[in-house]
Amino acid sequence: MEFEPTIVGFLCNWCSYTGADLAGTARIKHRPNLRVVRVMCTGRVDPTFVLKAFRSGADGVMICGCHPGDCHYLEGNDKAFRRHQLLKRMLVAYGIEEQRLRLEWVSASEGERYARLVDTMTAELRVLGPLKLAPDLGRPPGPCPEPTAPREVAHG
Amino acid sequence: MNDECRIGVYICNCGTNIAKVIDAGLVRDRVADLPGVACARTYEYMCSNPGQEMIAQDIREHKLDRIVVAACSPRMHELTFGNALEDAGLNRHMLEMANIREQCSWVHDDGARATAKAADLTHAAIRRVARHEPLEKQEAPYTPATMVLGGGIAGLTVAVELADAGQHVHLIERESRLGGNVGRVDLTAPYLDSARDILAEKIILAESNPRIDVQLRSTLTDLQGFVGNFQATVTHQDGAAQQLDVGSVVVCTGYREFDASRIERLGYGKHLDVITSFELEQRLRAGKLETADGRVPRYVSIVHCVGSRHAKYHTYCSRVCCMTALKYGHEIKSALPDAMVTDLYVDMLSFGKGGEDLYRRTSELKTMFLMYEKEDYPVVRAAEKGDDCGLLVQVEEKLSGETIDVPADLVVLMVGMQARSDGADVARTVGISQDRHGWFIESHPKLAPVSTATEGVFIAGCCQSPKDIPDSVAQARASAAMVLGHIARGKVVVDARYAQVDADLCSGCRMCNELCPYTAIGYDPEEGRSDIQSALCKACGTCVAACPSGAITARHFTDEQILEQIEGVLAWSSSQP
Repeated sequence: MEFEPTIVGFLCNWCSYTGADLAGTARIKHRPNLRVVRVMCTGRVDPTFVLKAFRSGADGVMICGCHPGDCHYLEGNDKAFRRHQLLKRMLVAYGIEEQRLRLEWVSASEGERYARLVDTMTAELRVLGPLKLAPDLGRPPGPCPEPTAPREVAHG
Repeated sequence: MNDECRIGVYICNCGTNIAKVIDAGLVRDRVADLPGVACARTYEYMCSNPGQEMIAQDIREHKLDRIVVAACSPRMHELTFGNALEDAGLNRHMLEMANIREQCSWVHDDGARATAKAADLTHAAIRRVARHEPLEKQEAPYTPATMVLGGGIAGLTVAVELADAGQHVHLIERESRLGGNVGRVDLTAPYLDSARDILAEKIILAESNPRIDVQLRSTLTDLQGFVGNFQATVTHQDGAAQQLDVGSVVVCTGYREFDASRIERLGYGKHLDVITSFELEQRLRAGKLETADGRVPRYVSIVHCVGSRHAKYHTYCSRVCCMTALKYGHEIKSALPDAMVTDLYVDMLSFGKGGEDLYRRTSELKTMFLMYEKEDYPVVRAAEKGDDCGLLVQVEEKLSGETIDVPADLVVLMVGMQARSDGADVARTVGISQDRHGWFIESHPKLAPVSTATEGVFIAGCCQSPKDIPDSVAQARASAAMVLGHIARGKVVVDARYAQVDADLCSGCRMCNELCPYTAIGYDPEEGRSDIQSALCKACGTCVAACPSGAITARHFTDEQILEQIEGVLAWSSSQP
């Protein structure tokens, strides 16, 4: 059976969630791989949400907001853009491929664009395969491991 | 946490809208045993009265404290179910909806995978709702004064309606006169009554009513505050700015006509006797139906769909041009009975009340109708020596299949409507959205035609999409009714979803102060803490995500709620490590 990636989508309430609804109203078919989490604004997307999604089993994360200049909250999407730039670098350091996190602009009228984004990201992740996290990253947090040997403190 | 909750889960079939793709029973069975779920049911139409009653009864019988409805988009019925919860004695925020119609059954064909996705979304909603907390209502007074942007037929109608009802209106017009585009028109279709008469009455009423403050050559340059409590800045052309307190804003900024010179083959700007419909209106109003060199035209050719219904220009129909063109048949024939009038059209769209009648009456006037292929505009060229006309319009006539040279002394281009170029500025200032053509977007295309994404801001007339005068007036009066409804209630319930600072956790770094686009966050230098004014907060959550101390909570979009939802959508995914 072909690998079916799971994608978590953080969609802003005003543009992108409405755009995703429009894809529905217009019956624009797309892949069923993305699960939407609605936020009021992409500015609300705390980087820990993205990390949480990857740690909980997502193969990809797509953040969708209003086009630059069109943010319902004036500039929340600018903040999301800046965080995205930093977060991408951080993910790479964790061994998570850059393609697994996308930030896209989808307006309330772009149902077609939304559907195509879901399809292309699904296709890309199918090629990329399942996310493999380092064992430490994938494991739920437990008690701190005991240090194996007392740390030598040099006195000078 | 979950075990203490009593969650009712309702999965809607929506007739066959959901049921034809998603097996609601299977979704119910998958979620029924999740922690905290006290009952799970499917039903044909959850939004129907019996559906809502089912929830209310379960709340009483099973002592439910939280509800999940897996159905349509929350944009559709979150309010409906929130009201149902309130009626049954639960706080409206103890609800979470899973969108299994717009974002699932309507867009997926694979029943098994759609059902699995619906179960994931419902699971996530259950996990999220377990973290919901009741939020109290906040109330604020509603300022009865209203700002109307644009003094065309729509704006004038709103202003006069509101003033008639005893309310104060600031009518802001960018140009130096009231009347808008209707003020550029001679007669109106389909009954051929005078635009001047229709308009003059409204303008006199607006200018003479002491409750209407007309401000010409002025624009709205800033809008702060929230529904019922806006602070507007109006700037006059001469630079003078004025602050006004208003409760509502009605945007009636209208449209611009398509620039006909963009379609070279129509010869606009090259041949003086190729004119736009608005230029013909000017001549009709002046009673001088002449060519550029002052001759009486013997042949008038009218080209429909200029800039409309064309992939390269505007794909939509501008709605009023066919009717206006038919009206020209009457106006030209009554001024010049011997003139030959030819309509070059794509489809004759004589929709609406009186439309088909006008089409019939115009046909009887012995005007000629020639059909051209959509997007294949006729070509206008100068006539040759010896021709008894100034221009020739070459058209590939669709019904006969022949190439015809239509004689013309005057070619009238039925220019379509397009969104104004300053629409983006207006949209940004008042916080509403535009569609891909630039028209302002209403809250719901059928059920909320004059409301917008910003509460207290309404739209009416052609700024929303091309429409005729009756439709513009209907929207204007609908907007006025919405505003009067708010004023009658006298107060506004402010969204309970705002951000809050936990003073004990705040380190006073002031990072959030700069981030807030609404300057809702203040700083107390004595305490060394930031604080959010809840009435100004619009709940975007940007400060929440940025706070390095985790001191800010977005009510109803808390970290815990969103993290639970993330875990919920992924709990059953196959690739979980």
